[in-house]
Amino acid sequence: MQSGRHVGGDAEPAAAPGAQDQTSAAAGESFDVNKLFAGSCGWCHSKGGREAGKGPMLMGTALTDAEIISRIRNGKTGQMPAFAFTEEQLRSIVVYIRALKPE
Amino acid sequence: MNVRSRLVAISGAVLLAFGAEAGAADVDHQRLLKADKEPDNWMTYHGSYNSWHYSALKDINTSNVKGLKEAWSHVASRSTRGLQSYPLVVDGVLYYSGSYNQVWALDGATGEVRWQYKQKLNDDLVAKQTHSPYNRGIAIGYGNVYMGTLDGKLVAIDMNTGKLKWETKLVNSEKLTVGFTGAPLLVKDKVIIGAQGGEWPDRGPIFGVDARTGKQVWRFYTAGGEEGNGDARNTWGGDSWKTGGGGGWMPGGYDAETNTVWWGTANPAPLYDWSGPDYKTNGARPGDNLYTTSVILLDPDTGKLKGYHQELPHDAWDFDSATGEFIILKRDGKKYVVHPSKSGFVWVYDDQGKVQNVWRLVQNINFVKDITPKGELVGRRDMTAGKHTNLCPFIAGGMSWNMGSYNPQTGLLYKVGNEWCMDLEIEKTTPVLEPMAQLNIGANFNITHPTGGKAHGHVSGRDPITGTKKWEVKFDEPPLASLLSTGGNLLFVPDARGWLHAYDARDGKELWKHNNGQGHNGGIITYRAGGKQYVAVMTGWGGLAGDDYATFFGGTFAQMPKDSGIIKVFALP
Repeated sequence: MQSGRHVGGDAEPAAAPGAQDQTSAAAGESFDVNKLFAGSCGWCHSKGGREAGKGPMLMGTALTDAEIISRIRNGKTGQMPAFAFTEEQLRSIVVYIRALKPE
Repeated sequence: MNVRSRLVAISGAVLLAFGAEAGAADVDHQRLLKADKEPDNWMTYHGSYNSWHYSALKDINTSNVKGLKEAWSHVASRSTRGLQSYPLVVDGVLYYSGSYNQVWALDGATGEVRWQYKQKLNDDLVAKQTHSPYNRGIAIGYGNVYMGTLDGKLVAIDMNTGKLKWETKLVNSEKLTVGFTGAPLLVKDKVIIGAQGGEWPDRGPIFGVDARTGKQVWRFYTAGGEEGNGDARNTWGGDSWKTGGGGGWMPGGYDAETNTVWWGTANPAPLYDWSGPDYKTNGARPGDNLYTTSVILLDPDTGKLKGYHQELPHDAWDFDSATGEFIILKRDGKKYVVHPSKSGFVWVYDDQGKVQNVWRLVQNINFVKDITPKGELVGRRDMTAGKHTNLCPFIAGGMSWNMGSYNPQTGLLYKVGNEWCMDLEIEKTTPVLEPMAQLNIGANFNITHPTGGKAHGHVSGRDPITGTKKWEVKFDEPPLASLLSTGGNLLFVPDARGWLHAYDARDGKELWKHNNGQGHNGGIITYRAGGKQYVAVMTGWGGLAGDDYATFFGGTFAQMPKDSGIIKVFALP
């Protein structure tokens, strides 16, 4: 537990352990849709999309692929933000949603 | 025109100019320092620099509150996610902000609109924001209404005319996605405001801006500090400080005796690390991750870090310290600063930031076994990738971001507590920065009931230093709005279902209630206009914490609108 007055140093930070698997993902880079979902989507779509939470359950959605992509890309005012994902990411999210099964 | 006439004309012009300036300077630092001596007004978010959320007004009191009636209301247009802000009142005029950075000035006695202001926003950006489009409050001073915008600006609006005076871009929201939603804090000649952060891969800066010119004077990075000002990047493994989160997204407090601004900071990103117990050397962000989930003590003039206390080193649960007011009070001649946090614990400091006590407000806590009175975490629950059940509290916190109230007459701190838990599956996420930053949560999760009981909320009156409970009222769902206590020994509690309750602040006996037609998720104040006392409360539903209520609690929440905002104002007939 650190407390009290902190003395700021001018030196560069000392060597510290490297963060694991923590490189930034650039657009178009190969990615894991499970990571993407847990990073940005799981806040609202509970249990990985298997249950309704802040947002609706995604498993078994009646939306078409194009509607899903449109909703992610454009959002819905007051309900869901728009996401600036790449085409590859969007297609992967559709595949992810279609593959959702109850646990 | 003879010389004398010209001199009169010139002095008249000077007077006009100064007159405008004098009017504009109505709320200045000196007046804010003594805000508690002006109970007719509510001039700053926390009511005063002491952050008591208390008014000495007592025209409305325990003996007559049963006669309280709605006096007037005002409907806020485009109220997506309800009204989450705090009204301010200066000399009979009520000012408040709403979604999409709209601001209104109303006659405090009648509600008649004096002016309205609508910020021109980058709509494409706002559509991409998750923690948006609400605004949680404004500051007033030097003739201006100050507001942070969703797209990263601080704006000054003429409080008399509603016209934009200046705007300063502080955050590259087009790249970082986040901007400002929290209220600014005016201290001396600086407007201080913290950016959104936490789950976003930035560094959560807090800014000090010249209140008159809008020029940025200082900036403090909550994730890692920087060279020459609290450099703590070595508390982050590798480059993880660059995407570390942090952020001071709610307004802090100010201790004039030490000239210190106290500010709470958000959690690090990703929220849920997969380090396990070896968090010093393992996971997404190895180390303590200063200055996230901390209280920091800043010099308001320079932004220099004077001290800090990290409430949760390496926060792995999103229980950030950005929430929670800094209640400054004296007992037996000693000054204390009391700071509740999302964790469900309340920290008590001396005025140098040294921990004096830590006490728990909620029962369902298991992210640690305990936190000692000295502030040491015991039995941390550091998780690894994979499934985990029954983590308590739920991500929305043992306490949410709205404010409690301290009443000097009863000596009690009133605060909402939340009893709820969650299941989660932690994933090893990667920060997404291109083409613009994305949330970095690090888990899929769902809200759950605590073991052996139902999720619920409570409001209690407690000793602010020891946490000893004097009384408690239970709610089927946690209220998510701020509280107000008064010199009339009243405690007002706006609840989630839409009821505004008035309790006897001494014993918790309910004296009055009124249904406002939709849930509350914002501020509440009292003030006097035209010699009459009013109580003003924000209504409107749809905040991040409340978004789970429709599915989890059902009932009225399944039908509650999430695009409606009305300020309701009450008075005795």
